[in-house]
Amino acid sequence: MTLTTTSFDWVRQLVHRESAIVLAPGKEYLVEARLLPIARSMGLPDVGQLVDSVRTRPSPESTRRIVEALTTNETSWFRDGDPFTALTSTVLPSLLSGRGPAERLQIWSAACSSGQEPYTIAMLLEDAMPNASTRVAITATDLSREMVERTRAGRFSQLEVNRGLPAAMLVRHFTRAGTEWQVSPSLRRMVTASECNLAAPLPRMGPFDVVYLRNVLIYFDLPTKQAILRRVRALMRPDGWLFLGAAETTLGVDDSWERVVIGRSSAYRPLKGN
Amino acid sequence: MRALVIDDSRAMRRIVSSALEGFGYETRQAGHGREALDVLQEGYAPDLCTIDWNMPVMDGLQFVSAVRANPAWRALTLMMVTSESEQGQIVRALAAGAHEYVIKPFTADALRDKLALLGMLPEEAVL
Amino acid sequence: MTLAPDVAGRLAIPSLIDEATVEAIAGEAWIALVGEDEVLVPLPGDLPEDTLSAWVDVVGPWTGSVVLTTGRQTAAELTRALLAEAAPELLDHEDVADAFGEIANVVGGNVKAALPGPSTLGLPEVGPAPAVRNPEDVCRIEVLWRGQPLVVSVQGALPSLPVPHDQHQHPHQNGASQ
Repeated sequence: MTLTTTSFDWVRQLVHRESAIVLAPGKEYLVEARLLPIARSMGLPDVGQLVDSVRTRPSPESTRRIVEALTTNETSWFRDGDPFTALTSTVLPSLLSGRGPAERLQIWSAACSSGQEPYTIAMLLEDAMPNASTRVAITATDLSREMVERTRAGRFSQLEVNRGLPAAMLVRHFTRAGTEWQVSPSLRRMVTASECNLAAPLPRMGPFDVVYLRNVLIYFDLPTKQAILRRVRALMRPDGWLFLGAAETTLGVDDSWERVVIGRSSAYRPLKGN
Repeated sequence: MRALVIDDSRAMRRIVSSALEGFGYETRQAGHGREALDVLQEGYAPDLCTIDWNMPVMDGLQFVSAVRANPAWRALTLMMVTSESEQGQIVRALAAGAHEYVIKPFTADALRDKLALLGMLPEEAVL
Repeated sequence: MTLAPDVAGRLAIPSLIDEATVEAIAGEAWIALVGEDEVLVPLPGDLPEDTLSAWVDVVGPWTGSVVLTTGRQTAAELTRALLAEAAPELLDHEDVADAFGEIANVVGGNVKAALPGPSTLGLPEVGPAPAVRNPEDVCRIEVLWRGQPLVVSVQGALPSLPVPHDQHQHPHQNGASQ
């Protein structure tokens, strides 16, 4: 065991501050098991050194990885499904009526993790429109190369597909590959994955009709939140739609967005003239 | 909301029941499909059945077909909870009339997610 | 690893599934059912004298059994962990047989799904492990759970085809403890 009491307490406080989840004493083992892959991906030998590294050089992305690793077992597909319902009920019909038949819709999943979000979008679109694979392009980005590679591979474990993916969609869009499930080639063709750090100047992409930027802003301070929203808006079409996490908003952060309620969810649209 | 938990393993019945009770369900249990049909015929009217596939006397797939053949039970939501996980079997269960399919092993979170998809989480129904 | 079928055209299990896959299946079952920090450590250990096995039969393009074997004491501890707060104060043999059998069912169902199908899965059985019929048709892993040894053996049900040496010399040869 490499985790000192001080390091464990620091992790507990971090997780409690960011997620309100309490890690009971005695969960050192869990912290070790969940954080070791992050340490390894950063080239560090153990969790103790990961904690030391993040404490001395705080980074919102590392913080996000640590909190996510400790607060979620597996990313769920349609849990908090309202932003996806909004896509097919409102956003897509509105976009399709305003775009020519040859225009390709551009959708950005801006913190795609292991790929559940971009493939959820791809499945919904393929089920909703016959020519989705030629009408829509989905850009999936994440800071972590490992997550980008997982998204590209489009392979999910049994435990992952058990998390909020409707069984009908599982059998329609996946095939079993040994103990895993492989996303269909047509969905994989719709999704292009690449590395991208939202806290730095963004590469040339878009312009996007729809952006999913969920559960990212909560990890950043106000100036960085403002900078990210400004950079994202620069890559969006003027009539585009932005979806944030359920606990996130542009209100009080960046007043160049208009909040639109769609069903049980909210979207944000660039205000004209900003 | 009420659930009937159908599994030949007592341990699995306890695990599924305690997860469902945690979400606010009242539960009853049956050890195989025939026993579950008897419970329904007695007049117990659950909102949800969780159904194992391989059981003695009457298996889960036969139970699903029997429930679907009776219009009186049309409102019942049927969710397979089984270690059977060949793609073809999931297709067969859905074709027979199961609404959802949870593959064992599962976590309580996975059950909760599936119930949320079905709009079958009591706490959400209250909202 | 050879993909060559035997004389009768049957594929032996080592050409259909590898140890890493069986280990991953068992590991996922433990994390989901027994507890999120209940890891199986891929290290061999010596099984005690008093063991219990639980298995399910798979019948299909490949036919055999998925057998879990551990010490009787460990099987009881596993039952308590599985049932958590629902565990009765005193476990009887039936509690242990039921819980251990269900774990065999979960591991067996997922092993079956990773093999060529379609296949059918039998109901779990508990007792002394079924004998290994053909040593060429076995995929076996040894792991430790909470420091206690546990063996998962995916073993063919069909006897090996007649070869010059008699395969029935070892009537007590046991799939999980050999």
